[in-house]
Amino acid sequence: MRILYFILSAILTTNSVAAHEMTPTYPNLVPSYVDGLFSAKLTMFNARKDVDYYEIGVFDTAWEPVPFASSSKILKVPYGSKKTFEVFVRREDRSRAVFICSLSKLRTNESAQAIISSKICSRTDGELP
Amino acid sequence: MGKKSIIAASILLASAASAEETVIEGNVQSKCIINTDVAGVYGNPSPDKLSTLGTDGGVKPVIRFDVAIANYYLARIITPTSFSTAPSLPDVVNWTGSVATGEVSDAGMSAYDAAKVTYDATSEFDLTIAGSTWFDVTSTAEYGYGRAFPGGTYRAVVQAECIAQ
Repeated sequence: MRILYFILSAILTTNSVAAHEMTPTYPNLVPSYVDGLFSAKLTMFNARKDVDYYEIGVFDTAWEPVPFASSSKILKVPYGSKKTFEVFVRREDRSRAVFICSLSKLRTNESAQAIISSKICSRTDGELP
Repeated sequence: MGKKSIIAASILLASAASAEETVIEGNVQSKCIINTDVAGVYGNPSPDKLSTLGTDGGVKPVIRFDVAIANYYLARIITPTSFSTAPSLPDVVNWTGSVATGEVSDAGMSAYDAAKVTYDATSEFDLTIAGSTWFDVTSTAEYGYGRAFPGGTYRAVVQAECIAQ
């Protein structure tokens, strides 16, 4: 019986779903309240128990980093919660800032041997198909 | 007379209320959700090998991509090429990895494997159908030329990316 409980708990542990979501797919960079800066608002949802922090990054089409500002580049998004954040880029970087990404930050003491890092990128120059 | 008017008015009001319609609104927007269904475990079938294959005693990491609308996202999965945690390894580690679609919510997604783009340790899948796709990741690390891995804990990171296109 104890073995059965062990097997069941192992299956449930390894198969527990953990999700990372970020919307919208195509955010708009619009003039912000600060002169010379454009901003976009995005929302992230964390359903990964093994992740509490996400790193925000802005990139051009060649995946080169683009300077940006936000309330924090590392966002704390506790398990099961949603967070809306704003990304600011300079007017001169507006056309270069194509991808806005969130990358899960993994703990070094994670128990699983092969760990999955997740990254979702929205696109500022995208259009609805 | 006054009482009758009140009763008549309340009946009319009640029937007016029952004729109200409640509107439920909702919208489906494009989004991608990355689900880490199984984190994966390396088996150690021989002293010089670590592998996530079931036949080697490992567990394959399984990543599920959910897309609400077709043709909005690209799934990119990068298999490990180094350990994130390991004892000191003076010799070289040879890495191999692959990604294949597992379960699918739509039969048409089975074509993802044929259309897959692979370079270095990266596999790219164009998510052309809305729904859920499970990707099975295989990762193998072989140490030196038949050398035994030193004892200790080994961890490696699989990177799953969902890129808007």
